[in-house]
Amino acid sequence: MLKNKLPLLTLFLLGALSANAQKYITKNGNVKFEASVPSFEEVAAESKSTSAVFETSTGDFAALTLVKGFRFKVALMEEHFNENYVESDKYPKASFKGKVDDFDASQVTTAEKTVTITGDLTLHGKTKRVSSTAKISKSGAAYKISGSFSVKPEDFGIEIPKIVSKKVADKVSVDYNFLLNKQ
Amino acid sequence: MNKKRYAWIAAIALLIICGAYLYNGVLYKEARNIAEEKAAFRLSSVQLVAEYKTNMPASDSNYLNKTIEVRGKVTQVSDSLLTLDSGISCSFSKKMGADIQGKEITLKGRCIGFDELMEEVKLDQCTLID
Repeated sequence: MLKNKLPLLTLFLLGALSANAQKYITKNGNVKFEASVPSFEEVAAESKSTSAVFETSTGDFAALTLVKGFRFKVALMEEHFNENYVESDKYPKASFKGKVDDFDASQVTTAEKTVTITGDLTLHGKTKRVSSTAKISKSGAAYKISGSFSVKPEDFGIEIPKIVSKKVADKVSVDYNFLLNKQ
Repeated sequence: MNKKRYAWIAAIALLIICGAYLYNGVLYKEARNIAEEKAAFRLSSVQLVAEYKTNMPASDSNYLNKTIEVRGKVTQVSDSLLTLDSGISCSFSKKMGADIQGKEITLKGRCIGFDELMEEVKLDQCTLID
């Protein structure tokens, strides 16, 4: 009985291993967001320590940012962002879990290929489906993924007080840039 | 006559001081300088990771946004990122030399939380202590 199943089991284990080997990761991905309004002070921040995992056999893509890692130029703005808007003590993480649509690893070359990434963005305790146009290319053994999308603070239950609403754009544009290496 | 003049001068001086305070102390106050802050906690990297893995909410309320000093062995160096005992990812403002790999070090940084994707605690604005 066991003898019969052994080859199958070995095959399964080998399959699991090879699937595992197609994982690409980064710990220092770059994510920037901006909600500036012309003629007012710049509202922008950047995280240089966003993690991401890209499974090239399926196109699955996941990213996680620790919100406190977003740095602003103005300290008071960073304080307001953390305390009043994203409430980073209560919700320390922002994450994305999705997929590169119709991904085929064999078609990725050093030339940038335009793709769509769709998935769930979780932030401030709320989840919303987002879609983003991205560029994928290979750089040596690594994958390069960059792109952008925009979100509305209200979709994530973040209220911008009336007093500052003129100085903060309704739509926040998010740019990301990941260089993922084989795990 | 003289009294009135003094009152005016005092009022203007007060206004300038208040304005300067609002501008420098509130609106454009200096950001935290983690390198110069005194560490609120000192512990080994193994202990910090163990605490986070057993109770994340409690660890978050203990360490989140705090300046902490950790001691551990460098298991990975990549650009400006050091990994301690495969469990804490520490980001520095400058590129780290590869010669630090494998060494036992103490560093100071700000805890920004636990990264579930990488199963790692993250510190930013790190500086080497020894």
